[in-house]
Amino acid sequence: MRINTTRFGRIDVDAADLLTFPSGLPGLEHCREWALLADADNDALGWLQSTARGDIAIAVVSPRRFVPQYQVRIPRSELTPLRLHDIRQAQLVVVVGKNRTGLTLNLKAPIVINLEDRTGRQVVASGDLPMQHQLDTNLTALKKSA
Amino acid sequence: MLVLSRQRDESIMIGDNIVVTIVDIRGDKVRLGINAPSEIPVHRQEVYEAIQRENLQASALAPEETQGLGKLAARRTAK
Repeated sequence: MRINTTRFGRIDVDAADLLTFPSGLPGLEHCREWALLADADNDALGWLQSTARGDIAIAVVSPRRFVPQYQVRIPRSELTPLRLHDIRQAQLVVVVGKNRTGLTLNLKAPIVINLEDRTGRQVVASGDLPMQHQLDTNLTALKKSA
Repeated sequence: MLVLSRQRDESIMIGDNIVVTIVDIRGDKVRLGINAPSEIPVHRQEVYEAIQRENLQASALAPEETQGLGKLAARRTAK
């Protein structure tokens, strides 16, 4: 499948590499089909690229890479639609956002991907978790210039 | 919008498998009990709306804005 994207130009994606989000993503409910792309410059980063909208892509990361203490509990009702038979077939990523201070991670609403049938769903985790976990990317830049 | 009056301990049914019960009423606060099948997620609306806002903002992120992530990941890996 060929997608004309605003960020990555024209890309070819194998049909087998597509992910289906039956409920879409909150705010982007109409985007049901996504391609998971690896970032060319950054192996810590992936992009969920909408197949229908070339201008819509969401940066995702594996949360433990940036927040080692991150523990997540997800209510059963959130996982049932994914029909996961084996939890080892689940991959968890979080959305990278941005606020005035810098980049953030949405730890409250991770995305769970069922690798077996390639479906995905953004879930709401239990407990008190931030939707904007601040990453100290600015600090990194300061240290570099110091 | 359908508007129904209910008293404490009374319920409404949505479809044939969702029951919403008025558990308690105190001043301007109402406590609801929700019985729904396990595959139906129930959220406070403001949480869902906050996720919508986060996703919409996130979908505007440009690849060059994520450069700090690579440095951060490299630093963590090096530790």
